[in-house]
Amino acid sequence: MFKLNLKIAFRNLLKHKTASLINISGLAIGLAASLLLLLYVQYQWSYDKQFGNSENTYHLMVNFYGTDKSITGTTPQVSNVLPLVLKEESPEIENISRVLWASRRLVANGQNSFKVEGRYADPDLLRIFKFDYLSGNPEKAFDDPNSIVLTETIAKRLFGTVDVLNKTVRFENQANLKVTAVIRDLPPNFTYGFECLTSWKLYENLNGWPAESNWGNYSFFTLLTLKNGTEPNAFNQKIKNTIARNTGTKTLEAAPFVYPLEKYHLYGHFTNGIADGGQIEQVRIFIILALGILAIACINFMNLSTARSQKRAKEVGIRKTIGASRTSLIMQFLLESFILTIVSVVLSIVLVELFLPAFNGLLNTKLQISYDHPGNWLAVTGLILFTGLIAGSYPAFFLSSFNPVQALKKTIAFKSNFSLSFRQVLVIIQFGFAIVLIVATLILYQQLQYLKNRPLGYDSNALIEMPHEGNLYPKFDLFKDRLLNSGAVTAVTQSSGSIAFQNSNTSGLEWHGMRDGDKKISFDLIQTTYDFLKTNNIRLIAGRDFSKGRASDSSALMLSETAVKQMGFKEPLGQQVLFNGKQRPVVGVFADVLWDEPTRTLHPMAIVFNAENSDVITMRLNTTRNVRESIDQITKITKELNPDFPVEIKFVDSLVAEKFEHEQMLSIISNLFAGLSIFVSCLGLFGLSAFSAEQRTKEIGIRKVLGATITGIITLLSVSFVKTVMIAMVLAMPIGYLIMNNWLMQFDYHISIGPAVFILTGVSSILIALFTVSWQAYRAAKSNPVDALKYE
Amino acid sequence: MIELKNIEKYYANKGVKSYILRHVTTSIKQGEFVSIMGPSGAGKSTLLNILGMLEEPTYGQYEFMGEDVVSLNERKRIELYRNHIGFVFQAYHLIDEMTVAENIEAPLLYKKVPGSERKSRVADILDRFNMVAKSDLFPNQLSGGQQQLVGIARALVAQPSIILADEPTGNLQSTQALQIMDLFKKLNEEEGITIVQVTHSEVNAAYGSRILHLLDGVIKEDVVVQQTV
Repeated sequence: MFKLNLKIAFRNLLKHKTASLINISGLAIGLAASLLLLLYVQYQWSYDKQFGNSENTYHLMVNFYGTDKSITGTTPQVSNVLPLVLKEESPEIENISRVLWASRRLVANGQNSFKVEGRYADPDLLRIFKFDYLSGNPEKAFDDPNSIVLTETIAKRLFGTVDVLNKTVRFENQANLKVTAVIRDLPPNFTYGFECLTSWKLYENLNGWPAESNWGNYSFFTLLTLKNGTEPNAFNQKIKNTIARNTGTKTLEAAPFVYPLEKYHLYGHFTNGIADGGQIEQVRIFIILALGILAIACINFMNLSTARSQKRAKEVGIRKTIGASRTSLIMQFLLESFILTIVSVVLSIVLVELFLPAFNGLLNTKLQISYDHPGNWLAVTGLILFTGLIAGSYPAFFLSSFNPVQALKKTIAFKSNFSLSFRQVLVIIQFGFAIVLIVATLILYQQLQYLKNRPLGYDSNALIEMPHEGNLYPKFDLFKDRLLNSGAVTAVTQSSGSIAFQNSNTSGLEWHGMRDGDKKISFDLIQTTYDFLKTNNIRLIAGRDFSKGRASDSSALMLSETAVKQMGFKEPLGQQVLFNGKQRPVVGVFADVLWDEPTRTLHPMAIVFNAENSDVITMRLNTTRNVRESIDQITKITKELNPDFPVEIKFVDSLVAEKFEHEQMLSIISNLFAGLSIFVSCLGLFGLSAFSAEQRTKEIGIRKVLGATITGIITLLSVSFVKTVMIAMVLAMPIGYLIMNNWLMQFDYHISIGPAVFILTGVSSILIALFTVSWQAYRAAKSNPVDALKYE
Repeated sequence: MIELKNIEKYYANKGVKSYILRHVTTSIKQGEFVSIMGPSGAGKSTLLNILGMLEEPTYGQYEFMGEDVVSLNERKRIELYRNHIGFVFQAYHLIDEMTVAENIEAPLLYKKVPGSERKSRVADILDRFNMVAKSDLFPNQLSGGQQQLVGIARALVAQPSIILADEPTGNLQSTQALQIMDLFKKLNEEEGITIVQVTHSEVNAAYGSRILHLLDGVIKEDVVVQQTV
């Protein structure tokens, strides 16, 4: 029986090519989409869990307390001395290591030099994470501070081989380090990833200041493992007062605590000291999308199968009269659905492989299907079983329940209230989901445009920047002169950080007439010398930019409009502001610069003259000249003056664009999945309209004989589907509104949702639905009534 | 073999009962060839369906081979289908996706007949019906008469004790119809298979041994056919 059923299932597939095509492609698209999303979910899920012992690895964090003893903030960064004190005081700690943020570090083997992602860490880091060592001993790798651990790729790039133990790497053009270990490349879903790792001691030796204990500088990440049997909550209670005790404050201002590293990535967002989400929200959205789109595809499958049921009903009737039991019929239909599912799964894996590179590009990940992983095969088998069962269950149970006499007489009560309304409910679910996605897409798009149109306060066009490093420090003035003389640029400036994104802030400024609490106002801070406003094209509202002619300007400061307003200055120019222990005159007021995320409100900003703190050189390209030539010229001049470092020129334009990456990504994803779910839903609707036309053949025939027009019949057949879609709309739109309103509320700067979105969604879904069903309706309406009637 | 006592069938619609069958009492013995005749709407097909347990009577007693089937559960009923009853339909009702051989084999599969025996029985019957050459064709590649032959072959292959045929020649030309009727007669006489057929045609009815005349759900006449053919 099984063999015959298998054969018949295949014959059925081949015989009804259109239906099979719709079924398989719909299911394959749905499966592929959800597989892609689930791959991403798995990627997020396995964050930071790759190196063993992850359940016992913790992140050191600090809660800050306000005057009313409530938690006002939480930071994952701690002072450089806290980990040392904790290690000394707490026997529960097994290993503890500070880790510096990743930066581009210059590594060189002779002339072969380039920058890699580098971190500094204490030797314990190699004990906390069990990396995969190609060579070297983790216990001894950092015995000597002048050591470096490389990843496989970097070792190969530097030396052409991974057999590089004890070879010398020139690091940051400052020190010669010995390679003490080579590890396999780290996965991208590892928070503390790096390409080269150097010891904390080296960091202190090269920079000096990090070696000094400073309880006030919360800059450093710290990871630790606790000894077996240590209860983290009890441990947190114990260490709660460590900072207060060591800094001698009477009230509790900052309390350290440990947080599981496994949760850090997904649940890393804290409000008032309570972890309330983080990346997990995106993961949840993706899971919902994946299940939703799979559900749409399965519903399609159900609807399309039952749509063909009138034909299958006869077969059911015959089989029952020759001795088929209901179970055997259920098995037969399930078998058919499993075959379709298996074909679809295979096809969907092909689709996933095809679209994975693009998807990876979109999400900035390196997802891949690992075929050698038995768990994945198990998951795929599970997916086939689940989908086959879900998709096949309704047709199987519905069709097998037919009474043979009715089935053979074609008098099955297809119009019985339950079955039709159940199908309608399915369609409402499909379209409801699709409509929510359309609403989301439109609102995301509007919000994205709104953000993109938000004035930056400077002109990012034709603006480039490069790191301020090496010889560019002593030779900055020469560099600037040569650039300006070359004609490639029209203005050059140095600054403490890029104009493109917020990278420094400060509080504790003092001025005349300040109110209580003003000391806590956080100012965006840029430290620079001359031509900052000119280069960035920031509009001056009052006063002037720092000027070379005035010696006093070297201790001056400029304020943004918002800063002036918040500080309460009526006449800002000439006011004195205390910053870093120095009274500084306000010489200029400039129009607000959007430095932080474009979704946030504007912060007050201070631009302070300071030649000593500079990381970035910004230049305005001469737009009358060819960009390529200008860049070549700049590269040449830079290379001449600073030969030890590679030239890294970035366009501020693209840096600004990166700020929209997340919204852009969400927008593309929702666009994609809204499109897919609409498409797959319409496939289903198409099948259903065929079903309806088939079912009403006789009625249409009679109506035509009685003189109905083609238009009249098309309307008759289409109206019920349009009604269904409208019900879906009424149900889904409020849901879409609530979800998106909620989403927008997390931003300071957002659009308000207007009726246009819903009108557009409504009109377009009805048009799409109408377009989908009218083809079948038209075909039915055009048919010859005789064909319809002679079968009785 | 079949005992019907006071079978009634009606549909209640808004309190009004519309009767299809009334007080049908009869018995059919093993080896009989019964034709049910009557005008349209007389309840012929309903009676046949009740005999085939495809429909339940509203009221009355029905014993099939000594077993009360009104209260039979689905599993038992399927057992009867598998072992004792073969159906032949006016519209043949072959499964379009199966070849001739597969259509014939299907009941044996449900009956869980072992593979080798299945093969030989299907081969036998194809041989008997002169359809060996057509065994790999699909129903839509056959003429109506050939399709009905397959239908009968399918009904026979499970070696039923009774064949229920609902206007088996209704869709056929007269020569094909005669062929089918000859076949029925032969099966009845040579193999002792009980046959109950519904028919409109006096000619067809004449092949049988007994005719039940139905009018408005009531048996008007029950006559034994004089074998003149």
